[in-house]
Amino acid sequence: MDRIIFHIDVNSAYLSWEAVYRLQHGSLTDLRTLSSAIGGDEKSRHGIILAKSEIAKKYGIKTGESLREAKSKCPEIMLIPPNYRLYMKCSNAFYEILCEYSSLVQRYSVDECFLDYTDSQALYGDPLEAAYSIKERVKKELGFTVNIGISSKKLLAKMASELEKPDKVHTIFEHEIKEKMWPLPIEELFMVGRRTAPKLRGLGIKTIGDLAKYDRELIRIHLKSFGEMIWNYANGIDSSTVKKEESIQKGIGNSTTISYDVTDRKEAHLVLLSLTEMVSMRLREADMLTKVISVSVKNFGFSTYSHQRKLPGPTDCTMVIYENVTQLFDQVWKGEPIRHLGVHLTDLCGKEFYQISIFDKNDRERQMQADRVMDALRKKYGNDTLVRSSFINSGIRPIRGGVGEDNYQMMSSLL
Amino acid sequence: MKVVSREIEMIAWFKKTDMPVPVKFRIESESKNSTIKIDKVIQAVEEKLAGNRMYVYRCQSIIGDRERIYELKYEIGTCKWFLFKI
Repeated sequence: MDRIIFHIDVNSAYLSWEAVYRLQHGSLTDLRTLSSAIGGDEKSRHGIILAKSEIAKKYGIKTGESLREAKSKCPEIMLIPPNYRLYMKCSNAFYEILCEYSSLVQRYSVDECFLDYTDSQALYGDPLEAAYSIKERVKKELGFTVNIGISSKKLLAKMASELEKPDKVHTIFEHEIKEKMWPLPIEELFMVGRRTAPKLRGLGIKTIGDLAKYDRELIRIHLKSFGEMIWNYANGIDSSTVKKEESIQKGIGNSTTISYDVTDRKEAHLVLLSLTEMVSMRLREADMLTKVISVSVKNFGFSTYSHQRKLPGPTDCTMVIYENVTQLFDQVWKGEPIRHLGVHLTDLCGKEFYQISIFDKNDRERQMQADRVMDALRKKYGNDTLVRSSFINSGIRPIRGGVGEDNYQMMSSLL
Repeated sequence: MKVVSREIEMIAWFKKTDMPVPVKFRIESESKNSTIKIDKVIQAVEEKLAGNRMYVYRCQSIIGDRERIYELKYEIGTCKWFLFKI
């Protein structure tokens, strides 16, 4: 039997949450009715638009653009810094309501959930009616609106919830693909972003339908396995299921925007060290080892590049990771001013056994011991308890990355 | 009633079960501080807007020899009381 899957997506999540919170505390205006946006702190340049109101959208303001761009499009825009603690609270309350409707709810990101409704039909009846009742309940109890997409596949449910916003319920069942999904521009397809879209447009693919009808082999030649995947998506082929548990972590990474452009190699290394501290701490917390390390650089012109390396053996040692990070950075950095740096660890594996290498330095064992002690101290007394002396007087935060909220649900590209 | 949303000092009665019951509160203004005794709680409901739990009380008191109806809010996460609407 076909499954019934809901994708529930909060409409301009950060902004509506902030708006509801303010209303609850007596604010007389609703942010959703103004030209407003959630975006970082302008002074420290943590400034991209994270969410915007419908009115701001009319000015052409897009999620992800810099605050400066947004201001030039709409000078009177109201900018509000993000409050991740509040978002987590909203997200939890939202998830709790959904859990009443099914035992299979997957938190896909902080503001999106998948819900497998198949077995709940006996209890709550018709899926469409249930979707409307969920939508209305969230609006009444929590004060914000959601879009719900219904289909037999996760991908199609997600596509359906994106159709027309806000506060709507849509379906895209398999027989509706042609009519509802194929006319959409190719950018609307899941996983097609600003990198892939121009490539596809170059092949004459303008809509999702064009891609669906394109020759599968040809698209594979152009875009490899990724091409095959999006071709499947365009045809509504997706076999993923709603997973209750957090899927196995595939990688750990942190990145940061620096409050000024870094031009000095040493300074860049310090920022990388502070990121490495965070990332390797998280890696050890997850009880994993990494085999691939990558560094990403975004320069003052907003162009991004990265470089990665496979290690001879898995590790979780801060200093080993850091040595590789700096080497990778030195190999790839072209010397221009840097705005943003990131460190990512992938190809993770369990810790059951650890292969000692004859190329390891002699003090490896001791460094790993030091890591363990530092982790324990930081966990107990806070991250600032113990910092590396190289950060003293550097003006650079010794540990950085993340949203400052430990359980924050990040977005994933895996369905 | 108009929204004022002012933080207030409150004496409340916390029972073994149920929500706390507001007894009297003090509101500070530039000219004077006044203490208002809550004569009657007409309605009390829980609110979960934005996932933030609050108890909302609709109350009645004699304020300056007039009977007034107003709304108090108690924010559970911060233990703060507000005179929300009057």
